[in-house]
Amino acid sequence: MIDRFAIRPATPVRPLHCKTAFGCRILFVLILCSLFQTPLFAQSKLTYNVRMGVTGEVSLLNEFPESYAGEKINITIQADPLDSVDIDGLDYVFADKKVDEIERFGDSIYSYVDENEVRWTVWQSTKPIKNRNLRTLVGNAHQTFERYMISHTTEAGRGTGWIWWLFAGLLFAGVLIYAGFIVYNRRQEKFLSSVEQETLRRKRMGQRRHWVSQAYLWLLLIVLYAPIALIAVFSFTKSKILGNWTGFSLDLYANLFTGQADAGLNSAIWYTVVIALIAAVCSTILGTLAAIGIYNMRSRARKAVSLLNSVPMINPDIITGISLFLLFVALGMSQGLATVCIAHVVFCTPYVVLSVLPRLSRMNPNTYEAALDLGATPAQALRMVMLPELWPGMLSGFILALTLSVDDFGVTFFTKGSGGLETLSTFIYSDARKGGLTPELRPLFTIILLVMLTVLIFINIRNSKQEKK
Amino acid sequence: MSKLIQIFSSRRAWAWPYVLFLCLFVVTPLILVGVYAFTDINGHFTIHNFVKFFTHSEAIQTFLYSVMIAVFNTVICLLIGYPAAYIMAQEDFKTPKVMAMLFILPMWINFLLRTVATVELFNMVGLPLGEGALLFGLCYDYLPFMIYPIYNTLQKMDNSLVEAAQDLGASKWQSFWKVIVPLSMPGVYSGVVMVFMPTVSTFAIAELLTHNNIKLFGSLIQDYITTTDLLNYGAVLSLVLLIIIGLTSFFGDHDSNGDEKGGIV
Repeated sequence: MIDRFAIRPATPVRPLHCKTAFGCRILFVLILCSLFQTPLFAQSKLTYNVRMGVTGEVSLLNEFPESYAGEKINITIQADPLDSVDIDGLDYVFADKKVDEIERFGDSIYSYVDENEVRWTVWQSTKPIKNRNLRTLVGNAHQTFERYMISHTTEAGRGTGWIWWLFAGLLFAGVLIYAGFIVYNRRQEKFLSSVEQETLRRKRMGQRRHWVSQAYLWLLLIVLYAPIALIAVFSFTKSKILGNWTGFSLDLYANLFTGQADAGLNSAIWYTVVIALIAAVCSTILGTLAAIGIYNMRSRARKAVSLLNSVPMINPDIITGISLFLLFVALGMSQGLATVCIAHVVFCTPYVVLSVLPRLSRMNPNTYEAALDLGATPAQALRMVMLPELWPGMLSGFILALTLSVDDFGVTFFTKGSGGLETLSTFIYSDARKGGLTPELRPLFTIILLVMLTVLIFINIRNSKQEKK
Repeated sequence: MSKLIQIFSSRRAWAWPYVLFLCLFVVTPLILVGVYAFTDINGHFTIHNFVKFFTHSEAIQTFLYSVMIAVFNTVICLLIGYPAAYIMAQEDFKTPKVMAMLFILPMWINFLLRTVATVELFNMVGLPLGEGALLFGLCYDYLPFMIYPIYNTLQKMDNSLVEAAQDLGASKWQSFWKVIVPLSMPGVYSGVVMVFMPTVSTFAIAELLTHNNIKLFGSLIQDYITTTDLLNYGAVLSLVLLIIIGLTSFFGDHDSNGDEKGGIV
């Protein structure tokens, strides 16, 4: 029998293979992005389910956690019998402090039957909500409702379905192309010699292992960065609620820089910066002196002080916070800026000590004494001999103290007192407990992230250059 | 005055201000926790608060539940973090520094903000907030603390030991379990301590991740300590937590050195 493939050169098409794999990865990322455009995510977020049966009045006493300004409200009503519902009779009232704005409610958009075979009708308000602080919703209805639910829809949430289909189609096409090339490659390989086939197989095994471990790390990173990406992406839209895309806008950045953001946020930023600077400066001075002292101690005393030094590092922040809180209560100190600063110095200084100590042990211990012998005062010797050697350690201790102080929540929470002092962490906490985040936090932390990223990349490049030298 | 100058001309004495500071703001407060635990509101000695704790089923249950959650979280972090650290420490891994940097970078974003964003993510995907969300959030917050120490020890490990084991006929699996794992134990210890201790004492994350449905021991302490009448009972709970922390750090202190902690930044 004639081998009909004999005349064809057997060349595997690996380069093409790689390119398609790369294309598939890009497609994967695009599809992840497109998920945010799907109807699944665009619809309403919060649903209130209130059982009621009063004729003539619908009242929602739950506090709305966030303002729904610029968005439309849906009211889903279970009524019996359905036909008798006259939604035109339902008005909504913003029972806020000042304005009671009464408008006719909108139209029914659809009705559906849920899994318990209960019929619901969804009504949507005709106009987006104007009032910024919608707290309570009170309505007048002329029928008895069994139950109703209130949710909201955003304008941008609808009409983006075609993107979803486009990406789904692209995904399907990508998978088909990928599968096609794999099949093609396999068929080509059959015409290689068995030795070549074996080496190819081994290589592929190695590649596969490598690919699996890479994929594992990237998967972890994707999960790790997903919430952060959420913050960064939604810093470019005006919506009050994280997760509602209402079109691209730089308003939040503008608000942040022109000081139009929430007054609480502005003061929290200032307090955070001030406290971090005070704590870092104090702990650097205290810690450097302490490190010099500890280094010159006899071994038993050194061990004892080092142990004492490690206590604040081992203590979780809640314990540090509570114990200091009890101390301030016992001393009768009123809690405020001073107590927060003291508390921050407590947990920052050990790290400064630890970053200065290695510099000391690298230093020639006799230079200080030599300076003294040559007639320098201790202050001069400290300034002209010790400090030039120690400053890298002090600097890294200072930076460490800054980041620890900015990041701290637990200790600040217990020592800030009730005088209205808030740092960023406690501000976010009280904000989140109220149910929503001040939107300007999103651009703030996006900027912080970008700055940190730049700094780290810069350090990395510098380090690798130094290594090459 | 001249005497004071004389004292401080010895460099050994430069540590005294810090030692005093530590005594006043670290040792005294910790003792005060004990003192408050053993007194009532009027300052009289009593063990009533301890009796209350051991008969207060809610507190005991919350305590056990928190320890259980912390153990689960530590195990999950270890199971996820060890392979990641192992892959990064591999010799043929090209960009370990960049990877390590990428794993640490999220820690510069305020953890409360990250937690709130996680909640929003769960809402978006339509997952319910509950125990699963709690474990996810905790793991998410503390995973870098597990990866970093393990990565450090694995990276410093002498690779020739692994090669020697393989030359002597050990299979890949055997050399992993009998050489690499025992050698990486110091990193694992310090990772476990660095994850377990903050998790068992966490108080804000749980509240946000479960819409206040699940209460951990930290939140319980917070509730009591901020209520003036129950401050002494709060001190008892803090003391219990302090004992747990002490035990953990004693356990973790066996092999780990302090230098892994400094490596975070």
